[in-house]
Amino acid sequence: MLGDFGVGKTSLVARFVRSTFSDKYLTTVGVKVDSKEVARAEREPVKLVLWDIAGRNALDTVSANYLRGAAALLLVADGTREASLAAALDLLMQSRALLPDALAVLAVNKFDLLERWEVGAPTLAQLRRLLPVFETSAATGTGVEPAFAAIAAGLAP
Amino acid sequence: MIDLPALPLSVRRRLRELLLEQAHPLVLSFAGQWELCGVHGDAAWYGIDAGSAAERLDALRDLFVGLELDQQQVLPFVELANGRSVHLHLIPDAGDFHLLLLDAESARTAQREQQQLANEAVLAGHAKGKAIDALKHIRNELERQRSQLAEADALKGALIATLSHEFRTPLTAAFGRVRLLEQSAAADPALQRELLALRRSLVHLQVLAENLLEYGRGEAGGLLNPGAVDLEALAADCRAMIEPLAMAKGLDLRVLPAAAAAPPPQLDELRLRQILVNLLSNAVRYTAQGEVSLALRWDGRELEAEVADTGIGIAPEFQARIFQPFNAGGQSGSRGAGLGLSIVRRLVEQMHGTLALDSAPGRGSRFTLRLPGAAAASASASAPGQGRLHGRAYVVDDDPDIAQLLELALVDLGLQVRCFDAAPVAIEAALAAPPDLLVLDMRLPGLSGPEAVYALRSRGCRSPVLMLSAHATAAARESALHAGADRYLTKPVDFAQFARVVREMLG
Ligand SMILES: Nc1nc2c(ncn2[C@@H]2O[C@H](COP(=O)(O)OP(=O)(O)O)[C@@H](O)[C@H]2O)c(=O)[nH]1
Ligand SMILES: [Mg+2]
Repeated sequence: MLGDFGVGKTSLVARFVRSTFSDKYLTTVGVKVDSKEVARAEREPVKLVLWDIAGRNALDTVSANYLRGAAALLLVADGTREASLAAALDLLMQSRALLPDALAVLAVNKFDLLERWEVGAPTLAQLRRLLPVFETSAATGTGVEPAFAAIAAGLAP
Repeated sequence: MIDLPALPLSVRRRLRELLLEQAHPLVLSFAGQWELCGVHGDAAWYGIDAGSAAERLDALRDLFVGLELDQQQVLPFVELANGRSVHLHLIPDAGDFHLLLLDAESARTAQREQQQLANEAVLAGHAKGKAIDALKHIRNELERQRSQLAEADALKGALIATLSHEFRTPLTAAFGRVRLLEQSAAADPALQRELLALRRSLVHLQVLAENLLEYGRGEAGGLLNPGAVDLEALAADCRAMIEPLAMAKGLDLRVLPAAAAAPPPQLDELRLRQILVNLLSNAVRYTAQGEVSLALRWDGRELEAEVADTGIGIAPEFQARIFQPFNAGGQSGSRGAGLGLSIVRRLVEQMHGTLALDSAPGRGSRFTLRLPGAAAASASASAPGQGRLHGRAYVVDDDPDIAQLLELALVDLGLQVRCFDAAPVAIEAALAAPPDLLVLDMRLPGLSGPEAVYALRSRGCRSPVLMLSAHATAAARESALHAGADRYLTKPVDFAQFARVVREMLG
């Protein structure tokens, strides 16, 4: 899970793995690892091991260390903060150097706060040409399963 | 680095005690691939006890998915299942390996406190910037309201605003049904009379409901929503609403529409209509014989509307009082809620217009309304045609009655229509085959109307979207347009206006 702090990485994992949500913000320090088995169409289910790491808008050596061995990146941005989308894309580019083959999916979170969104629909329409993009809400669950399912579907074998 | 063996034994012993106490080391030794063959230290401290050992070891193993087991590794600040943070070291050992766990809880807590403050400061900074903009935006509005708004008033307003949905949805359905029945009852005069009576009651109910809603919104009202007004269509609508009321009392109703001078006035049509309907239904109520008339004049700058009757008239001393809500006896013989004229006064003020009254007992009343209606830019004034439209429209509404009425109205206009009761399927369909028009209810189960429009726009779909909502608030309108809708109309759907807007959107 890669993205600036406060965009909802921890909340997305909590929604996906435990079906819970809290609106209290508790900064993540280090890493918390969770896992969930995901069914796939016409294939064996796959167990996703999710690394929820401290949010940063740039990769430092510590978070680079956590990235080693990752098969996929779920980049997370907060739709109500345009800068967090730029941060997610920066992180994607920086992590490409370490993980050239990792699958990347973008979740633009807090869809339940749409009336406050700064990220414009045309921007996402453009980004969809580069990678799969999902509007998600950890608060209501909208789009969360599909985002993780897209990762599961993109993983070999 | 300190040379341990050189230290005196007592110091070494103390140092060792302190380190063990603080770091709580636990060593798990594995043979080959994750076969546990030794445990040294306080496993329970890390939540690894006999009962849960297998599960906990699985979780540790997950941490090393994708990593090499024959290379030294450090994973700092890993949160374990029991919530404790550890530094996790992997130490390879000739084909086997050991995991060394060192407690990092107090370091994590310290770091978290510091980080939390920093992060919250950044987030608050962002929120503050936005909040200040929003505050500036609403401050004027608030200042106008502050002196008037008691808490009870606000509560009442909120209650009535939520009631608006409950009122409008069934009214829309009822009017639509009556219209359908009237078409099929053309040959049956008895049934037509019944339908006329039914329409009359519905008009009464609608006028009352709209007045109550307007009253509930408070003096400040919502934002004005100006658009090009088709005066001829407006006059026809007023006639259609008031005629059943006038006929029941044997009154003549004369409606003189404005000469169609282009360009049309730019006015808040819903409010204008509400003013006229109130004045007209009031005129009918206080007139026993003779006639009620409506005349519209538009000179390109100002709209003048004159509503006259041959009724009982109003004495000079009562003329100011009739504009107070719930006044009694303003007009002798009055009954009913008495909200109408106070609402009219409020709406006229909101629209920056004037209202003059000329009346005397026994000589009838004449209300003259003047509204500034800056001319529409001539580019947008190109009148939408009257011919049949062509194209495909999707309707998304979870209320099957409303969906059916919208479908009928669109089919009437010449469009092919597909109905959906929820957004996700409609989105799939619209992406597969973009329609020429998408009519979306604002409040849908699951994905809301605005969320659905945004999802479509962010997937490149440019189909024109018309959003319908039972919430006649500026905020609702704003959020629909912000999400990417092209037009916004409130329920109950006024089918004449609906048709006009659809023509504009497809034109
Ligand atoms: N309204 C809303 N709030 C959210 C959503 N996701 C996260 N949040 C809130 O945003 C804050 C930061 O979330 P968190 O998951 O800790 O972000 P992280 O730093 O990326 O892990 C918390 O207060 C969450 O409650 C969402 O989808 N909708
Ligand atoms: Mg977090």
